[in-house]
Amino acid sequence: MTPIPPVFEELIRIVLYGTLAILFVSVNALFLVWMERRVAARLQLRRGPIHVGPQGLLQTVADAVKLLTKELVRPYASDRFLYALAPVLAFAPLLGAFIILPLGPGAIIRDLNIGFLLLFSLANISFIGIFIAGWSSNNKYALLGSMRAVAQNISYEIPLMLSTMGVVLTTGTLRMTEIVAAQDRIWFILLQPVAFLIFFCASLAEANRAPFDIPEAESELVAGFHTEYSGMRFALFFLGEYTAIFVSSAIAATLFLGGWQGPLLPGPVWLLLKTYLLVLIVMWIRWTFPRLRSDQLMAFAWKVLIPFALLNLLGTAVWVSMRNLLA
Amino acid sequence: MSSTLSALQEWLLSSVKPDEFAERDPKTAGVRFEALVPAAQIVAVATRFREAGYFLESETAVDFAECVELVYHFNRWDRAERCCVKVLVAKDGGQPGDGTWRAPSLWPVYKSADWFEREIHEFFGVTFTGHPGLKRLLLPESSTIYPLLKSFKGEPKGSDVEQSLKLIGEDAAGFDLNRKQSLTCKDRDFYLNLGPQHPSTHGVLRVLLHLTGERVIDAEPIIGYSHRHQEKMMEIQTYPACWPNMGRLDYVGAMSYNMAYALLIERAMGVSPSPRVEAIRVLTTELNRISSHLLWMGTYLLDLGGFTPFFYCFDDREKVLDILEMATGERLTYDYFRFGGLDKDIPAEMLPAIRAFLPEFTKHLKDYDKLVRKNVIFRKRVEGLGRLTRDTALSYGVTGPMLRATGVAADLRRTEPYSIYPQLDFDVVTAEGGDAYARYVVRVREMEESVKIVRQLIERIPDGEITLGKLPKNVPKGEYYSAVESARGTFGMYLVSDGTLNPYRIKLRTPSFSNLSSLPALLPGCLISDVVSVLGSTDIVLPEIDR
Repeated sequence: MTPIPPVFEELIRIVLYGTLAILFVSVNALFLVWMERRVAARLQLRRGPIHVGPQGLLQTVADAVKLLTKELVRPYASDRFLYALAPVLAFAPLLGAFIILPLGPGAIIRDLNIGFLLLFSLANISFIGIFIAGWSSNNKYALLGSMRAVAQNISYEIPLMLSTMGVVLTTGTLRMTEIVAAQDRIWFILLQPVAFLIFFCASLAEANRAPFDIPEAESELVAGFHTEYSGMRFALFFLGEYTAIFVSSAIAATLFLGGWQGPLLPGPVWLLLKTYLLVLIVMWIRWTFPRLRSDQLMAFAWKVLIPFALLNLLGTAVWVSMRNLLA
Repeated sequence: MSSTLSALQEWLLSSVKPDEFAERDPKTAGVRFEALVPAAQIVAVATRFREAGYFLESETAVDFAECVELVYHFNRWDRAERCCVKVLVAKDGGQPGDGTWRAPSLWPVYKSADWFEREIHEFFGVTFTGHPGLKRLLLPESSTIYPLLKSFKGEPKGSDVEQSLKLIGEDAAGFDLNRKQSLTCKDRDFYLNLGPQHPSTHGVLRVLLHLTGERVIDAEPIIGYSHRHQEKMMEIQTYPACWPNMGRLDYVGAMSYNMAYALLIERAMGVSPSPRVEAIRVLTTELNRISSHLLWMGTYLLDLGGFTPFFYCFDDREKVLDILEMATGERLTYDYFRFGGLDKDIPAEMLPAIRAFLPEFTKHLKDYDKLVRKNVIFRKRVEGLGRLTRDTALSYGVTGPMLRATGVAADLRRTEPYSIYPQLDFDVVTAEGGDAYARYVVRVREMEESVKIVRQLIERIPDGEITLGKLPKNVPKGEYYSAVESARGTFGMYLVSDGTLNPYRIKLRTPSFSNLSSLPALLPGCLISDVVSVLGSTDIVLPEIDR
């Protein structure tokens, strides 16, 4: 048997992993939407979806079918090409995150030496999608929403990166597998608690979640950047948002909570458990707090998160160099 | 009579020399005196009233064969000294709206006159000189009808729909779909229509915002989307047939509006209901005030992005509605009071239900208040926001919790006591600052005060008849004014009766109308997020504004 040329092998891998990732993302988003609604209901003296399927689990499937069958309405004066491109651009890059997510020892699609830097670069592309969505809709609320989204993304990117640098300094690597391996004795949440809090806050803002959900603040901007979107295009933004929550929680679990490490249960199960725990906290926060104002949001990033992240980085650097000197 | 008022009266009689002057009994007519002054003098009179600390409570008009009579009501915050000043606008063979019926505008003195005069202009065709922009307020811009003139007999049946379509078509004609730029954009500023389809305008309100970035330069509320012309409706109905209208003004706190109408007609007829009726009226009104404030609290936090408090507040509101439903059979548009009595007596299970509800609610309210008030995001969002000064409040005729949040203890339940409020022990809640936070504090504490009132009442509802039996179907000829403290502020009703079965003219002075008109003074400098927050803190109900 002749060996398959490496190009085809690579292609097959891309198609296979890509399909798996899309499948997981869709099912996961459906589950997260159900979970969000149940958590919200629990916090609001309601019961939430309980009728379709066991515990209402199929409710979101029904909703997804409804969204898929809906007409795609396009505003008269929108930019035809960009309007259609935006939801894809906002959603697709998030799939790339699954390339670098280590599910277990050796269970990783690509163990890149730039690790999560790739993820942050990809997440930025999805913000371009959001900006295009607001711009091409030719709607003032959408434009305001996307302007807010860009401003927010630029501001919160900095503390997000700075907080992860503490972990990078401690381990001396950007590779995800090595970062997880370095946590076999102690999780980084204990070594880098400040970094974890900053990362968590910043990732809430990056995923447009309350109390930082100003780009789509429904009581102010109707629906923000996706005001004019309907049907599956809207569903793509929706998928993107929940995937972003999942990805940022998974990264937080990997960087700070020991990733796939844990006793008894297999690695992927541990990672999923930790991720869903963080997702639950994210939801809890959303249904508990009112929304910040856009200028307060900026002030929080530049006056609180960034200074603390820098201090944390400095402290870590001093600690690491002391350790190296003593060793 | 206070010294300010007697000085004012003396000045009026000596300097202005009114054509007619009559002192009236405030217990029946609702006013201290009526004065008919020459049109040229009205601005001077209003200036004098303003300097003496009076606000323009209402400005309206009544159509007579030879003239249109403008009626101004001035009142004070600290004590009930309502004065009525009238001006005659001769018709002189002119047509409505052609500019021959003229009167000077009070806009330079009172900003609240802006909307009052626009309304008179579109309903009576009177032109006000010196008014900054006499466009239609409640009717479509292209409207050509003057519905409150007695000569207006309504469009013939069948053409209503065509007429409406014509009006809509004319309004839409100037709108160009292909025009990419909207309105006049100067450098970086632009216009944004907040509403009428917007989740946070609490009804069909449109606020035209002039923005630079997200910051507001100027704001103009545009109303009239749910205008049903209740005043005209009431003119063509008999007195008892007007009852359902009272529940459809402010549907959130309709009991106070029932109270005002009952007071108005009972004063005019010179009857008073039994103590049992009075007690039940106050009981239901205060319960309704609680449910109204609860709805506000929930939706206001929703405006700020907090979804969950909405459910908690509505949960308790449901319980109040359940209790009120026992008595009235209605959950929203209450139509419960009758002249001299009530529709029906309260059922036996109502008082135990209230007894069970009160301690539970007091505990919940304390919890909610603690959760909200100790939330740092909430505090940062509302403190210092939408600051209303006393001077602005006076100028715009702002009343209710919005006014009390500026530290003024103006509550008609105390200053112009009606029903059995003088016998009840409760405080007039005030707060300092005049900002959105102060309004929050006032409304939450008002719920506590209402609980206090309800608690006193359930122990001492006297026995008695709940109806006075048969009353005459008409109201004696004359003019009457009644005012109550609704959940939103001063609700006043002005009635001109000609002794027939229908009211000759009824003016509904609704609190949200004047409160909303102060929005242009509150919004400049805010961000869009704050627009929603300030708007929410005014606690408006649109059907009450549009009537």
